[in-house]
Amino acid sequence: MTPSYNVLYIEDNPDNTMLVRRALEARGYKLLHSGTGINGVSMAEKEELGLILLDINLPDIDGYEVARRLRSSNKRELSTIPIIAITANALKGDAEKALNAGCDVYMSKPINIRELWARVEAFLPTP
Amino acid sequence: MTSFADPMALSYLSHLQCSGCGREFPHQEIHTFCPDCQSPLLSIYDLPGARQHVDRDEVSRRSKGMWRWHELLPVLNQENQIFLGEGDTPLLLLTRLQKEFGLSHLYVKDESSNPTGSFKARGLAAAISKAKELGVEKVIIPTAGNAGGAMAAYAARAGLKAHIFMPKDTPFANIEESRIAGAEVVLVDGLISDAAGMAGEKARTEGWFDVSTFKEPYRVEGKKVMGYELAESFGWELPDVIIYPTGGGTGLVGMWKAFDELEALGWLENVKRPRMVSVQADGCAPVVKAFQAKAAFCDFWTNAHTVASGLRVPKSFADQLILHDIYQSNGIALAVSDEAILEAQSHLAKKEGIFAAPEGAATLAALQELIRQNWLHPEERIVLFNTGSGLKYLDRSAA
Repeated sequence: MTPSYNVLYIEDNPDNTMLVRRALEARGYKLLHSGTGINGVSMAEKEELGLILLDINLPDIDGYEVARRLRSSNKRELSTIPIIAITANALKGDAEKALNAGCDVYMSKPINIRELWARVEAFLPTP
Repeated sequence: MTSFADPMALSYLSHLQCSGCGREFPHQEIHTFCPDCQSPLLSIYDLPGARQHVDRDEVSRRSKGMWRWHELLPVLNQENQIFLGEGDTPLLLLTRLQKEFGLSHLYVKDESSNPTGSFKARGLAAAISKAKELGVEKVIIPTAGNAGGAMAAYAARAGLKAHIFMPKDTPFANIEESRIAGAEVVLVDGLISDAAGMAGEKARTEGWFDVSTFKEPYRVEGKKVMGYELAESFGWELPDVIIYPTGGGTGLVGMWKAFDELEALGWLENVKRPRMVSVQADGCAPVVKAFQAKAAFCDFWTNAHTVASGLRVPKSFADQLILHDIYQSNGIALAVSDEAILEAQSHLAKKEGIFAAPEGAATLAALQELIRQNWLHPEERIVLFNTGSGLKYLDRSAA
């Protein structure tokens, strides 16, 4: 089966969204976006996705809760879909919490584009 | 290449360039890191011009201190050079230790004699001077300790406001030296990465200029002078091996940049480069893990812990540069235990009278490991870096 090259980015910061959109679309991925956690979970349950990028500091539920809801979703694919957590305002143990909540990788902001490409391509080879 | 450089120029700074995508930026404006690919910016100099007009032996005759290399530093106006005596630290031959280990040429570059007692003075001298020149009025930094104290001191001397975020278990000396120099200090329940998040947020919302490691282009310029000094000390040759503790990695990247510049200037008698050894603590070793995996960047290190607070950096913003330079030098990255660090700290003091910071002592522990691995040749010229004074960690030593 051909993998989906749709990447969902759950992030409320428009500057980061624009940066990541530009970076991933340059590599042939399609970026879907949600500015809130609850809507992000809902989109993930509706759309065909290859990977999720997840900010931790969201305006409604935090990224940990988003990851937990995704992993326990009735949509079976979400239990294994790659989730890359990305955050700036790390509190103590933030990386550990993200991994414990079900994220596969933790990245800190600022988002280095070459690293982002490599991280995404490790799960979802370039189209 | 033809150069039209001013032979009387204070600095041959040409422009800034992104280390990731190569985009160029004018140095006359305030910049942080590349807005396109979010990689560090590096200062590029008109080296053909400097080669034509700057005489290395004349530089050697100038008054001691970091700013005697001013043509290769980013400050354009002498009145903006903030000087507290940084630079020209001693390169000491470790006669008793080299005998003990069966080596012929073992040295330590002792950075503890810098103002504020650590190598951080060099980077902050450059960054604060350039910030002042660019009209910055308030500076902010997240720090594992010594960078905060250095920034507070240089900001005070430059008349800039300083705000510092540091982990609450940072050595007491770092907290006090920052406060007494007038900086506003916030103690964070977390690591430097947590402090960085908070400082970054305050910088964005309140307009403070963030001088975090590699998030502005000039700290590395101060640090690179360690490389110039080494070359000068070895008669314009480079040592065979440099063993360097790596937290944020500014010194390692800076020295490698210095060697590139010296080569381009034609100042080296022999262009053979040293092998760079990156030393981390085994409780926080992202560079070592990436090196062992031959990776281009580091994973964020979880549960970071070590007595060497300067090495508690879960992921450097310049990880790709650090790894690139280690690979290019045919070097190595290795981790040592806290027990080995403390033992080495004691041994260095007892044998050579140098009370090193734990980060500096880690290089001696690494040396011993490299000897065990037969990675070194006994005749090689080996330089350890002591990055600061053990006196700044007395609360740790007493614990």
